[in-house]
Amino acid sequence: MRLQAALFLAAWVAPAAAVYLDEVNHVDFHHALLGTPSPDSTFFLKPPSSSNASLLYTISDRLTAGAVNPRDGSLLWRQNLSRSDGPAAGFLRGEDGNNAVVGAAGGYVSSWGAHDGKLIWENHFTDGVVADLELLALQDASAKSDARDSIALLAADGTGIVRRMGADSGNIKWEYKDDGGDVPFQVSSSSTEVFYISLQSALLKGYKIKVTALDPVTGRQTRQLTLNSENDVATPESVLFVGANTASPLIVWADKSQKTVKVNVIGTKQVNSVTVDNTSGEEIKRITVHAPHKLNSLPHFLIHYATATGAWAEVYHVDLKSSEVNKAYQLPYLQGQSTVATSSIDANVYFTRITGSEVVVVSSASHGILNRWPLQSSSSDRALNAVAEVVSRGDSVAVRSATLLDSGDWQLIRNGQAEWTRHEALIGTMAAAFAEADDQEDLAHELEVEGHESLHGAYIHRVKRHLRDLQHLPDWLKELPKRIFSSLLTDEVTNLDSFGVSKSVILATENGRVYALNTGNQGKVSWSVKAAEAAAWNVKAIVTRPGVATIYPDDGSSVSVDVSTGDIIARTPPTNVKVHSIAVVDTESSPLPVTLSIREDGTPAASFEDKDGFLVTTSVDGRVLGWLAQDNKSPVWEFVPPVGQKVIRATARPAQDPVASIGKVLGDRSVLYKYLNPNLALVTSISEKDHTASFYLLDGVSGKVLHATTQKGVDTTQPIASAMSENWFAYSFWGDISSERSSKGYQLIISELYESPFANDRGALDSAGNFSSLHSSSVDGLPLPHVESQAFIIPEPISHMAVTHTRQGITTRLLLCTLPSSNSVIGIPRPVLDPRRPVGRDPTSAEAEEGLFRYAPFLDFDGKWFLSHGRDVSGITTVLSSPTLLESTSLVFAFGGDIFGTRATPSEAFDILGKSFSKVQLLLTVVALGVGVAVVAPITRKKQINMLWKA
Amino acid sequence: MSQPLPPPPPPQWVVALNSPMPNPTKAASSIPDPPGFSSSKAVGKQREKQQKDQQPTTSKPEETDALKIKKAWEIAIAPSKQIPMNAIMMYMSGNSLQIFSIMMVFMLFKGPIQGLFNTNAAFAKFDTESTRAKLVGVKAVYVLMQLGLLALGIWKVNAMGLLPTTRSDWLAWESERQPLERAYFAFS
Repeated sequence: MRLQAALFLAAWVAPAAAVYLDEVNHVDFHHALLGTPSPDSTFFLKPPSSSNASLLYTISDRLTAGAVNPRDGSLLWRQNLSRSDGPAAGFLRGEDGNNAVVGAAGGYVSSWGAHDGKLIWENHFTDGVVADLELLALQDASAKSDARDSIALLAADGTGIVRRMGADSGNIKWEYKDDGGDVPFQVSSSSTEVFYISLQSALLKGYKIKVTALDPVTGRQTRQLTLNSENDVATPESVLFVGANTASPLIVWADKSQKTVKVNVIGTKQVNSVTVDNTSGEEIKRITVHAPHKLNSLPHFLIHYATATGAWAEVYHVDLKSSEVNKAYQLPYLQGQSTVATSSIDANVYFTRITGSEVVVVSSASHGILNRWPLQSSSSDRALNAVAEVVSRGDSVAVRSATLLDSGDWQLIRNGQAEWTRHEALIGTMAAAFAEADDQEDLAHELEVEGHESLHGAYIHRVKRHLRDLQHLPDWLKELPKRIFSSLLTDEVTNLDSFGVSKSVILATENGRVYALNTGNQGKVSWSVKAAEAAAWNVKAIVTRPGVATIYPDDGSSVSVDVSTGDIIARTPPTNVKVHSIAVVDTESSPLPVTLSIREDGTPAASFEDKDGFLVTTSVDGRVLGWLAQDNKSPVWEFVPPVGQKVIRATARPAQDPVASIGKVLGDRSVLYKYLNPNLALVTSISEKDHTASFYLLDGVSGKVLHATTQKGVDTTQPIASAMSENWFAYSFWGDISSERSSKGYQLIISELYESPFANDRGALDSAGNFSSLHSSSVDGLPLPHVESQAFIIPEPISHMAVTHTRQGITTRLLLCTLPSSNSVIGIPRPVLDPRRPVGRDPTSAEAEEGLFRYAPFLDFDGKWFLSHGRDVSGITTVLSSPTLLESTSLVFAFGGDIFGTRATPSEAFDILGKSFSKVQLLLTVVALGVGVAVVAPITRKKQINMLWKA
Repeated sequence: MSQPLPPPPPPQWVVALNSPMPNPTKAASSIPDPPGFSSSKAVGKQREKQQKDQQPTTSKPEETDALKIKKAWEIAIAPSKQIPMNAIMMYMSGNSLQIFSIMMVFMLFKGPIQGLFNTNAAFAKFDTESTRAKLVGVKAVYVLMQLGLLALGIWKVNAMGLLPTTRSDWLAWESERQPLERAYFAFS
């Protein structure tokens, strides 16, 4: 016990030391994600710098603007532009040689440094949302820097406002307001004019396209044109393209039958009709127009026609004088998918066509193929869109293109070879679970067989098993020298993959895909598969057993995938039950855990056979219900919070929560017994009116409230997180001043449950070996716990809490907290959060021996607690923890926005050799000793014999 | 056959050995012995004289027994003289688990236990027919004294916290109470 106390003390002295520098990217990994890139706002851009390298900029569907290094796909910077809830379109514009990119989302327009992502200026508009954003091609003669002014179109109900904002400060230079009731559509600019394009409702149906030309300096209207498009343009989506910043900006739309495409050079009345030359005999699914965005580019553009099975493209030239459009050549019809990207070098325009099998680059001037590469890795995923950058090297050209695939992967293909892939769909991870490969399953099964046999039979069985294992011996021996040398020579941290630190994490994303990440390999995606039959699904849970992971969406169906390959093993059809949650029940009757769907009103969809099994569910309307296993018709008990309160969260002890010691040894070596009950549930309910948060500790079998506490002055709009493990629970909230004694700030409260307030006392049940919540001998039923609580003021809100798990629960636990305001994940050591820390006095020697130290109300987050150290881990909603074969080590995996994983060693890695342990030195010492003995032994022997003679 | 040869004359050194040392010359005897050298003849004479003096005292059996019992008492009491010294040493060495204190405690236990096992051996030379009855009491005191030393060791071990006397020492053998019912949670 004394030894344990000493260990405990040692654990406290060096709690959860931060990750060492050489372990970064070895023990932890981080996928910094942007989200699905928006096709219109993704571009290569060369920021002004000494290097000539260009960066890849985009704004995602999550309204995160960012820059990606095209060489390795690493994220250089990102900024979230969403300032209000609700869907909004994001725009990002930039110009070569310009040190700023301008982004807009909702009513928020901001300019960011292209290199570092630092804010240059920002504007909040409340009178509309940004419908379009352009950079003005030409700048004023008075402008000092080469930065470009931006023009934003704000759309409100029936009103369109065009604003020009200065490049350096974002101040509004002029404003043009159109309150004629038109639908504000886009802005475009030529070298001399700014065009405001709106859609005017025609009398009967459709829209007329109205073009208003504005003076770029004053913003005054110079002229107005209306194009008769009402027969073709039914909705704003019917307009295919409004060209931006080309020498001849275009408006392109197609008629409803998609027989002809109408092209108008903005600023002219003339509408050119192009007949679609459809030789494929199939219906055209999609028409896209690709045109260069640079002012000095040739006025060429490409129209891409895609049918269900193939695609072709036509290249057109615009005659600047007559504003006529002439077809130059055609890219042939090819089966399969195809996307086109435009890029330009000086005035030359290049089109890059990416098909399923090859990448082809053509110049806009002639149909001759400049270069062609076969695609090395042809993926089955369809490419949705692409941006490309063409570099000319003498006669030939090189191209790299960033392609967004149907799967949500963003892939850079350089000269036909896939350079990197960013799995942007992972940002929409809805559920995740640790999975184990089934290679351990065989051994576990064999051991189980041995356990059930007689002593003699088990012995024979084991000998046979070991003889069978001998067939692996030659391989093992062959591997041995390599293993020894690699462990001696490599400078790396010891490879611990065989100790269960290399696990698969199965993730289900919003777009119906399932991914497997390997925690031992920097979180690389080992496979991904489209598992949902629909485009999207709402996953409720992933349940894993060795070898198989089963995903449960909310429609009542389920998909089972093989953990190691991603093959879909089984699929059950959807039921008409809207699933609220999933219960996993270990019954004795079946070898595998049974999963039950819970309806939204909290009723289980089925009953299960378990004599002493109870089920606790929550309903959408905020009740907690308890059910008997055999009966899914009427609940056994129901917990309804007091009037005015609603249940927002319920949490229980993890299913696997091993407890190493059932008591806490005090300084005088007496024992405070822990109140351990696996059926506990912690229910959080809030009252928005009274600004209170209540926490109820329920017994899951009887529904009895074991402990309840209400916090006053709680801001219920701020995150309230809670977690539970062993004999303690913790929660945090924003507390406001409600009385003289209370304090204002984010609070973290920890409560420990004991069987009795007295040491060496096991409470009412005393030495009973088991207990029952229902058939208790005492009148009150289950005895109540003795609760010790303590509150801490913390510097930041906590949005989610979890607890580390280790194999046997001996290691100190960490309270894993997600900090949304600093985008990090921290692990607070439990000894720090001890409610028994002495208040207002120094600890006595007995308390000090126990590891207690003086209570301080303000708990500053130590830098060493940050598991994410310097990483910017944003958007985390859930943190998972899994034990490894090493007692000291716990795997931590966080998802929701970014993906982050690490290994937590709360009491230091006490069961593995550290890096400072030199195996070479040890071997050299042994060798030196051996040599010493070999040399000295004959000398000593000779001397002893001589002494015998002399005597 | 020839006449057996007469035995050869003994060698010179045999003659010298057998014949007494010639008296030293007057001049030689006046040379003083080197410092630290004592004439064997003189010491031998003294020792003979001493032995002659003692021999008459040991001749009486009653006196011998009394002496033996006295000696036996001395041996029996001897361990008690170690107790104060050991107590101070144990007190000074502290209660922490260190190599020195562990070694000292080990020695503290080793001495009395060995002593207890060798009780009869320790008094064997005083054990005669006549003293046997008297020696029983002496042996009992000896055993008590050794037990006193052992008690000191146990006190020390207890102070070091090595004796399982508190509740926490038996905590590992206490088991968690098992619930008869099991609740499964389905929280979303």
